[in-house]
Amino acid sequence: MANGKSVLITGCGIISAIGNGKSEVLDALLSNRTGIGPLKYLKTSHKEFPVGEVKMSDSEMESLMGIEPGTPVTRTALMGMVAMHEALADAHLDRCDLNRVAFINGTTVGGMDKSEQYYTDFIENDSRNEYIKTHDCGSCSEMIADRFGRFKYITTISTACSSAANAIELGADMIRSGEADIVVAGGTECITKFHLNGFNSLMILDHGQCRPFDAERAGLNLGEGAAYLVLESKESAERRGVEILAQLSGYGNACDAFHQTASSPDGEGAFLAMSKALADAGLKPSDIDYINAHGTGTPNNDLSESQAMKRLFGQELPPISSTKSLTGHTTSASGSVEAVICIFALRNGFVPVNYAWANPMDDGIIPNMELKPAGRLRHVLCNSFGFGGNDSSLVLTLTDKTL
Amino acid sequence: MEEMILKLKQEIIEVLNLEDVKPEDIDNDAPLFGEGLGLDSIDALELIVLMEKNYGIKLQDPAKGKEIFKSINVMADYIQKNRTR
Amino acid sequence: MTQKKSIKVVSVKQISIQQPLSEEWMDSPLTYQDDYVKAIDPDFRQFISAGDARRMGKLLKRALATSLSALKDGGIENPDAIITGTGFGSVENTELFLDAMVREGEQMLKPTQFMQSTHNTASSLIGIHTRCHGYNSTYTQKGLSFDSALYDAWLQFRLGKIGSALVGGHDEMTPVFAGFMRKAGHVKEGEICSEAAVSVLLTDRTDVPALCTLEGLILLNDPEPGELAAAIHSVTGGQVPSAIMTGISGNNENDSRYGFLKELFNGTPILRYKHLFGVNFSSSAIGFYAAACCLKKGEVPACLTADGIPVKTDGGILIVNAVEGRHYSISLLKPICGEL
Repeated sequence: MANGKSVLITGCGIISAIGNGKSEVLDALLSNRTGIGPLKYLKTSHKEFPVGEVKMSDSEMESLMGIEPGTPVTRTALMGMVAMHEALADAHLDRCDLNRVAFINGTTVGGMDKSEQYYTDFIENDSRNEYIKTHDCGSCSEMIADRFGRFKYITTISTACSSAANAIELGADMIRSGEADIVVAGGTECITKFHLNGFNSLMILDHGQCRPFDAERAGLNLGEGAAYLVLESKESAERRGVEILAQLSGYGNACDAFHQTASSPDGEGAFLAMSKALADAGLKPSDIDYINAHGTGTPNNDLSESQAMKRLFGQELPPISSTKSLTGHTTSASGSVEAVICIFALRNGFVPVNYAWANPMDDGIIPNMELKPAGRLRHVLCNSFGFGGNDSSLVLTLTDKTL
Repeated sequence: MEEMILKLKQEIIEVLNLEDVKPEDIDNDAPLFGEGLGLDSIDALELIVLMEKNYGIKLQDPAKGKEIFKSINVMADYIQKNRTR
Repeated sequence: MTQKKSIKVVSVKQISIQQPLSEEWMDSPLTYQDDYVKAIDPDFRQFISAGDARRMGKLLKRALATSLSALKDGGIENPDAIITGTGFGSVENTELFLDAMVREGEQMLKPTQFMQSTHNTASSLIGIHTRCHGYNSTYTQKGLSFDSALYDAWLQFRLGKIGSALVGGHDEMTPVFAGFMRKAGHVKEGEICSEAAVSVLLTDRTDVPALCTLEGLILLNDPEPGELAAAIHSVTGGQVPSAIMTGISGNNENDSRYGFLKELFNGTPILRYKHLFGVNFSSSAIGFYAAACCLKKGEVPACLTADGIPVKTDGGILIVNAVEGRHYSISLLKPICGEL
């Protein structure tokens, strides 16, 4: 590969609106079944917005994770634990292995689901003080990690919608530089009143099912979830004799440097992130068999991202789809949720459908609506573009061992 | 109307935190967006909130804001015709 | 493949509860009796136009001012990477939005406050102002936020991915959040809850004048017995530094976490900066800044030493940051030898 040590993926875990765990999520993708619907778990006055909620209450997840009732824990951390649990088991990592493992987590809301409930208590009395400690993002990552054992390094990335992708990139850099053999990387985010209202104030939420890349698209549907990849060096994977799911063959991070909430009209940051990822992987645009687009369904993103893809791929656009019309926009977790979806696509030979699309945009891409690919899937590109122009792209490759 | 326009200018200056701008600096017919005051899409969203909070006018479509916020006079006229507070 | 190029600290700038964008504190530090002190701000108009500044809370203005200042001083306009650490993010705007939502309900909330509240706003704003399309990221790991950002830059230098990086540590504090910091035990008795914004410009280019070199960096979570000493040995190469910059603050519980250094380095001066700069999630950035300033001067001023006696810095300064008694960052800054 282009830049030193290979970065292999030896496990993954996921929880999202379309399923709790890998097999439920895969089934939903193959059945084209959306997880977006009316709000059920979040207590908000904004019942008008369809969302992609994880179909478990906090207490159900606490039970599943064996958390003692009354222990201060947040929804974001709980989802992270569920996904981490699956990822570690998938990669055959036990508690005693973790002192060689780094954990890089992406989140932006952290413990805000509890903070917004107890904010007045935080100020006026001491009844909820234990939840002040769970507010910040770093504490969220520690809570997830501590549930499983002692990791050698824990840190948290918060770059809005590209957080999980950037976490994966840092993890890969750690492996390439020899700083770690194994890194669990990804992201987690629950829906909170704070950012539901925040996105509403920016007027970018669709009051109906979101329609990425559709001419009539009217905004995004918020989602929630968590997903982690277990990244591993080749030597470590061989030594442990574990199965390789796929390879992270390239990645790129670039800044749009245009505006804090809007993407540039020519999609410069997106173009650069994708270009860097391809260069890093030593691949040409024509090597890419599928793009999992950021595709939020906002007028701005989908146009900007279309421009960027057209600039890079010219007339030779591969099949492209956004899976956010199935999962909702899982914000900080989207990079890893969608990376897991890409791994499923590679290993099962299908191309996720751009659910709910009907009308071609004037200047946009025409997304994929067929599960069956034209040929073999070898390399896929996964895009995550965040507020503030924090743009990241990952290239995932099917490895020969798994054929 | 003049009183309302002065009040509107003061509200805009406050909500958009235009520290160095006084009401007399804002020409009633000058464009608010692009040139003139040089406001942008985020400012438009803030003005939508201002319209609802201070005048009870709810704008569902952010794109409509472009026409209504063309200038102080256009905005004042729209408020006069549609206010519920 | 890792490279062994020398990483240089080109410039460091701060806005804190000491004199802003200045090293005046080294000779005439300001002292405080209060337990919550806000930063002293420079006139931001020399860096940011009124039109741009109108949306920015203090954290953003400080992050931008220190960044632009560090870049100007260092003579690098477009760094290859802009990486920021922040423990709580833009607290001012978070509080305004949250407060309005909780007290007034979920209607008519202000988009600017939400937009400015996300943690990565500072990093992206710096990218927008400098028109840098390079690598851009934000870390948030409480008292290790700056260290995490520095670690990312460190890895990328070693992988040959970047030749320059602007690394920042920025935290602001409102009275409400200062209360939270105390309730959660992040700021302890006897410590000043403060604010800080620090920007550090790094490069591995040989043609750029610099203050000192960054010789090593290791971050540890819950180290086992012996791991910490081994990490320090690895970073120092077994040599004894001229002094050790620590997060000692005057609070016993906090200070006990640095006790092991006396055993490892018997007689080496132990420095402190929190009595002058206070405590917040970006304190470790101040520690780094202070150490770099000492190396620039060639001497540690009396105000940072335990016994009030200045210390020469020929052997470099080891920086040890202990967070909550379980996380550690270890780094070493050394003087530039004979080069530019």
